[in-house]
Amino acid sequence: MYVKGLAAFAAAVGVGLLSGAAIAQEVKQEKQSVLGNANVPPVTQEQLNAADKNAKDFLLTNGNYAQTRFYPGKQISRDNVKNLHVAWIFQTDVRESLETSPIVVDGVMYVTTSFSHVYALDAKTGQQLWHYAHKMGPITVYCCGPNNRGVQVLGDRVYLATLDSKLMALNAKTGEVVWTTNIADPELGYSETMAPTVVKDKVLIGTNGGEYGIRGFVRAYDAKTGKQLWNFDTIPENSVGVWATKDATGRDMHRNIQAEKDMLAKIGDPYAKLGGGVWQNPSVDLATNRIYFVVGNPSPDLDGSNRPGDNLYTNSLVSLDLDTGKYVCHFQYIAHDVWDLDAVSPTVLVNVKDKDGKTIPGVIHAGKTGHIYVHDRKDCSLIRFSEAMVPQENMWVLPTKEGARMLPGANGGVEWSPIATDPGQELAYAINLHQPMTYHVESSAYPNGKLWLGGAFKVIPSEKQSGNITAVNYNTGKIKWQVKTPEPMIGGILATAGGLVFTGEGNGKFAAYNSSNGKELWSFRAGAGVNAPPSSYMIGGKQYVVVGAGGNTQIDYKRGNNIIAFTLD
Amino acid sequence: MFGKLMMCGAALLLMVAEARAETIEEKVQACTGCHGEDGKPVDKTIPTIWGQQAGYLYIQLRDFKRGDRKSEIMQPIATQFERDDMLAIAEYFSKKPWPDLGQPRAPKDVAEKAVSASRSVGCPACHLDRFQGDGTVPRLAGMGRDYLAKTIADFRTRARGNNPGMSDLMLATSPDDLAALVDYLAGL
Repeated sequence: MYVKGLAAFAAAVGVGLLSGAAIAQEVKQEKQSVLGNANVPPVTQEQLNAADKNAKDFLLTNGNYAQTRFYPGKQISRDNVKNLHVAWIFQTDVRESLETSPIVVDGVMYVTTSFSHVYALDAKTGQQLWHYAHKMGPITVYCCGPNNRGVQVLGDRVYLATLDSKLMALNAKTGEVVWTTNIADPELGYSETMAPTVVKDKVLIGTNGGEYGIRGFVRAYDAKTGKQLWNFDTIPENSVGVWATKDATGRDMHRNIQAEKDMLAKIGDPYAKLGGGVWQNPSVDLATNRIYFVVGNPSPDLDGSNRPGDNLYTNSLVSLDLDTGKYVCHFQYIAHDVWDLDAVSPTVLVNVKDKDGKTIPGVIHAGKTGHIYVHDRKDCSLIRFSEAMVPQENMWVLPTKEGARMLPGANGGVEWSPIATDPGQELAYAINLHQPMTYHVESSAYPNGKLWLGGAFKVIPSEKQSGNITAVNYNTGKIKWQVKTPEPMIGGILATAGGLVFTGEGNGKFAAYNSSNGKELWSFRAGAGVNAPPSSYMIGGKQYVVVGAGGNTQIDYKRGNNIIAFTLD
Repeated sequence: MFGKLMMCGAALLLMVAEARAETIEEKVQACTGCHGEDGKPVDKTIPTIWGQQAGYLYIQLRDFKRGDRKSEIMQPIATQFERDDMLAIAEYFSKKPWPDLGQPRAPKDVAEKAVSASRSVGCPACHLDRFQGDGTVPRLAGMGRDYLAKTIADFRTRARGNNPGMSDLMLATSPDDLAALVDYLAGL
């Protein structure tokens, strides 16, 4: 997954770049950690297992291990959401891209910022309880902003993965460092922006670096000690695959298979520097002890000439055994991708209808292609894919030196933004981008951990961009409703039992919609891009909704540093 | 200009040959001949290193030593340093204040053109808001205009060979847009 900029389209957002405001990211090294005393009880595995039924807390990045982002509380409803107002605002010390998913544990909220800071806040008042300011090493290599998407708590520890590729356990009460483990060498292009998933004393983490010729992985570390328990290479030593010529939807990808086979004979399997980053949390099936995640693009992004084969398991859904990390199954969406239309949004476990109409355990994922893919959880096979949520044109034209126009642009469709689901309505909610781009190819040798795109994705400044919120029935693949937004959307979405979905836009708008028909019921202007997934929780009998408003590096939305909580009177 | 460059290079080589520097102050003494006593480079095609990102400075020294980035002046200097020296030198200069080269702000139309071009290929995604850089990605805001122009030209011909991704992005951007970017970045 790489970052493509946005053409200057909205003065309200764009002028920020031209103004002479303070340079906020400089604070990142100057700020010292402030230890504190958060009165928070240990989180048990049983609590985490039951997170989907817990309206008091928001324990995991995507709500629960199935990653439904369906909040079971319903105090805030379609009828009263018009009365929603700000409860508190917390300003972090880092004014840069904000992609955090706030989690809430018994009245204590944990949020993160760019450059791997963590804050513990009083979830009722927004008061700071402690602040961990990560002392970043000098070498960081990342393509899509210095983001951090959140933390998870197990026991009395908060688990954090940092931009300089370290895994850390912090004391949940004080913010003190308990242990630190080096995950991989940042000088070779490895970095961390995702939140860890912690389950059964294992800390699960993937890696960024698909734009730098890494060899991707998902790993489990011992939650108590930080010792590595298992490693799964997202690129197997035999990455060639079956020479697929069509994508998951049956469209021809215009591969020159003979040329690839000739190259394979010449250079061998290209697995060692083939990319395959993992951007987002795996979902965990507690019943079968399996995890499900998606793997990102091959390196270099646009130039396939030196990476013959299907480039397994890039652009794939993959399932592993939780205890051992052993491979269970996979499904590849786009073999030998040269468009970076990869798989980055988190997987979601829901029961789905199979092709015969029988209800079975399913796993769904929203792609940058603009489709929601529905799979059988047993063997990863594809049951169906949704109608396209964004315009698709000229797929799959091969990139050229001069640039070939194709839709979607390389940011999607659905970027890393997590989707939400409402199982009662059989709906999945996704936020999308529409950015017309040209795809350019250039060829160069592996550059030792440097940016390795193999060309460029170029936003066409003269073409109009937009976004949308789309509700898809995952049992039929049909779009139920769609709300158009003036700008491409990136961040995330939350569905609630109150019949609502909450999501934000790059122009600062944060809004609630009727989850059955998409009607807008409430909105708020946050003053900076709302490009982070919302969460919800309850304290003292009151439901809150919280979201970060700090803009986004990837699409260059106006930066800010606010965590904003809303509630009813 | 060429004469001045040659002089700064010759002085440096002499210094490198004659003195085996021990302390960080001694090690960086050699740098001032070209990069300036006060952080302002002695020639407009020489980059500003005061206040530059430490990770970036380290990677450049590493690449000069490896030969991944070509420079007859920098390569022999970098060759004598080990990784720890390079990190220390990088840290040293990163802590210095960024010098104001007094370059004019780009006119509004040029700035708008530059912003549009930079967003088209995603420059702020790595160089960050206001082109301050971070880690191994350099600050570009306020960098010398001539150095920016030369570097972009070298990326386009791949004469600057230690970041092919940058070459790809510069090749995908029109010379007209790049000229606007140079003026815009120099004036930030």
